[in-house]
Amino acid sequence: MRSELTRFPFVKSLLKNRWLQLPVSFVMLAGFLFAILSGFAGTPIGNHNFSIVFVWIAWWAILILVAVPFFGRGWCAVCPIPLPGEWLQRGAILEPPSRKPRWLNLRWPNKLRNIWLQNLTFTLVALFSSVILTTPKVTAIILSAMLFLAVGMSIVFERRTFCRYLCPVGGFIGLYAQAAPIELRVKDKQACAACKDKPCYNGSQVGYGCPWDVFPGGLTKNTYCGLCMECLRTCPYDNIAINTRPFAADLVKPSRKMDEAFKAFIMLGAAMVYAGVLLGPWGALKSAAYSVGTVAWFGYGMAFLAFIFGLLPALFWLAVKLGQELSKSDVPARHGFAAFAKALVPLGLMFWVAFSLSFVLTNASYILVALSDPFGWGWNLFGTAAVTWQPYLTTALVPLQTLVLIGGLLWSVCTAQKIGTEVKILPVPIVVFSTLVTLAMLGLLL
Amino acid sequence: MKLSRKQWSYFILAGLAGAVIAFAPLPVRVAPPTQRIFRVEASQFAYSPAVLTVDPGDTVTIELVSMDVVHGLYVDSYGVSVTADPGQTARLTFTADRSGSFRFRCNVTCGALHPFMIGKLRVGPNTLLWRAIGLTVLAALTAIILFPRLSNVEAA
Amino acid sequence: MKRSEILSRLLVIAGVLIMLSVPLAVHFYNGQNIVEIHGRVAESGGWSPSSIEAKVGVPLHLHLTSDDVMHSFAIGQSDMAPVDVAPGKMTELTLTFDKPGTYMYYCTRWCGPNHWRMRGTIEVSGGSSDAPQLVSPPLYMTLNLNIDAPHPAPVTPADRPSALRGAAFAAMLSSNYLMPDYYRTHSPAQSYLNLRADSALSSLSDPNVWDLVAYIWQSNTTPDGLAKGQRLFAQNCAACHGELGEGNGVFAAGVKAQTGKLPANFADPASMLGASPALLQGKILRGGMGTGMPYWGPIFSDETIWGIIGYLYTFKFGEGQR
Repeated sequence: MRSELTRFPFVKSLLKNRWLQLPVSFVMLAGFLFAILSGFAGTPIGNHNFSIVFVWIAWWAILILVAVPFFGRGWCAVCPIPLPGEWLQRGAILEPPSRKPRWLNLRWPNKLRNIWLQNLTFTLVALFSSVILTTPKVTAIILSAMLFLAVGMSIVFERRTFCRYLCPVGGFIGLYAQAAPIELRVKDKQACAACKDKPCYNGSQVGYGCPWDVFPGGLTKNTYCGLCMECLRTCPYDNIAINTRPFAADLVKPSRKMDEAFKAFIMLGAAMVYAGVLLGPWGALKSAAYSVGTVAWFGYGMAFLAFIFGLLPALFWLAVKLGQELSKSDVPARHGFAAFAKALVPLGLMFWVAFSLSFVLTNASYILVALSDPFGWGWNLFGTAAVTWQPYLTTALVPLQTLVLIGGLLWSVCTAQKIGTEVKILPVPIVVFSTLVTLAMLGLLL
Repeated sequence: MKLSRKQWSYFILAGLAGAVIAFAPLPVRVAPPTQRIFRVEASQFAYSPAVLTVDPGDTVTIELVSMDVVHGLYVDSYGVSVTADPGQTARLTFTADRSGSFRFRCNVTCGALHPFMIGKLRVGPNTLLWRAIGLTVLAALTAIILFPRLSNVEAA
Repeated sequence: MKRSEILSRLLVIAGVLIMLSVPLAVHFYNGQNIVEIHGRVAESGGWSPSSIEAKVGVPLHLHLTSDDVMHSFAIGQSDMAPVDVAPGKMTELTLTFDKPGTYMYYCTRWCGPNHWRMRGTIEVSGGSSDAPQLVSPPLYMTLNLNIDAPHPAPVTPADRPSALRGAAFAAMLSSNYLMPDYYRTHSPAQSYLNLRADSALSSLSDPNVWDLVAYIWQSNTTPDGLAKGQRLFAQNCAACHGELGEGNGVFAAGVKAQTGKLPANFADPASMLGASPALLQGKILRGGMGTGMPYWGPIFSDETIWGIIGYLYTFKFGEGQR
């Protein structure tokens, strides 16, 4: 079922070529900086500002509908945010590394070597999302903050610590990358065992050590590999391969990681809250979500946090416990909790796809306008500035969302079944949980 | 995929049930089409009432009253819309010939949360939602029944 | 350092600098000789800038955009059609002034309860210095009317009077009653009392006298004037005064909360019939005194205001255009 893409020399040379990767990154960096500029200097009207339209409609659509489901961490491979910091850190844009370490190059503290910080940053963004999604200046501030943080962390710490441990987007891209049909793995673990210098991790004359702080020889899942292709360049034994594989191959590997489990709940819960608040007819909820600093917003925030950190995990825990009782398993429920949480990965991903389809198809026509008049200054670069707003594909939307959500449920059930066999806990209550939240999501979206 | 005879028959049964749930025409309660008039107040950023319920075939008139700034009302799928300035009630009349649940939204930028100023128009029963619920439950049941390993782990 | 490294560094630095500076430079260059006006609701500052300078005969290029909700732009006391000022879009408008003076621009699409405060001025200088025009004080001042005092009608008709019925008795009316001066300076109730006391009309019943008053009122309007009055009322007054003039518009509750009083109810004969056109003109011209009523003096010409006033009486009086 696995097929190695890099066995084709053409593909391998394409992926190894810095001259191909760099221009793509340059374009992304230009777009990113342009979004910051238009957010600060352009019209405060979100739907006519390049920053809102191209970040939260265009880029988000490509990310959640294409990049993550099909390429896992593919966006990370071309993301512009780490670039300026990395160039500073390396002291070069193209040149291979010199032996002198630059800047502080500190190691990220052990206590923080998990995704709890990313859970925090994503939750913060989610709490303020109504304001961020609609106000160009705030989007520009968030993007600038991410850039400054990334640069700052590159100067203090080694490798891409912002990407690996802080980036709110990276948190969920990494989690959902486990469901993607491509992967980077080593071909032969024995070759790695015999290799002395491990240039894939430590760097060599031809390339840098893994910026993601991953040892490729030990990669068993997609979560932390950013597909930057450095190890492809440095491995002297040609032992790194990019493979296609069945969807969700990573999901059945047992996991004990609570930080990843909670990430799954944060994403699942956030999708449901967004569907209710942003796409529902309840104006009071939207006002509460938007009016940051008021009592109403505080109440909304508390309810949101209680839902994603309290109610959902508690119900899931009950389901795991029930499954454990019913199967008279002596596996501690805690292990089952973290293991079964992986079944929420395909479910959450499909929740986000279904939600995003509605949001994107409704507002995609603004992309044409923002392309021609990115600042709202009356420009008409490509002649599309006067395109009137119109939702696209409204009749196909509901069937699409239904298929996506049911597909996600089936996928999740399959995963739960396989996990259940691994941990020897009956997965039926988990299936019931997944079905119930899917029904809730259907009710919110349709 | 190696399935036993029993599993194949479940699979086919589930497939048929799914097709029925998805496509079987539901009995439609034919009520005589009536004239319905709704006075909808639009303010930043909600409609009041936000949910309108009519029967299929009704002639629907929405009187849009803007309470603060210029608002619009655009009905998804029908594609009809109207704009109202405060002090000038605008009327939109159309025939509800499509059944289901449709969102209506503001189509005149009216402030920050404009893209989320949404209401719902229900024309008859929301059959798509019921079918989706049916398919979801069917999918979950099928998965539980079909995949033997689910029941292997000493089910109660 | 290798050539490729130098090249890529140059590319990055140059690319970033160009990308950040070119749009701003283009915008600045395009903005020469153009006044960019941003419209915001009055609570956020209104028009920005709110005062502009121009010269007679020199075209004034305006670029208008809204920073929040739908607005529109019009020049007071002119027949320029209002242009929409839409959020996120730029509207281009060129104005040329023949005469010097202070022109007022204002928003014509309701954008909140303080919409009418969204006004700015254009100071136009130059041109030949004509002899300054003498402005005569408005009627309510010459009459020494206290337009803030309540004006209850001493008598009211039992039924709605009809100008059509009144027309039948028009021949009995002496001509001075039909003069605009008479109409403007008397309230309908006062006219009724005058007509009732007139011996030439003593044979008429009370309702018929009221009909004659309605006839007098109607003869001081034209169909076009009434149509324009209706249109302007809907656009400018209905938001507070209600679409049927009953003082219950969408902003009425807010007005009451702020000032303690509801907007005037034109459909109430008890107060409406006690108000002369001069009094109404005074209210419209001068506005408020803390009541929340805008002052329309700089916006509407006298003729327009008389037209609106003529329409106001039709809510409960006379043969309306509705």
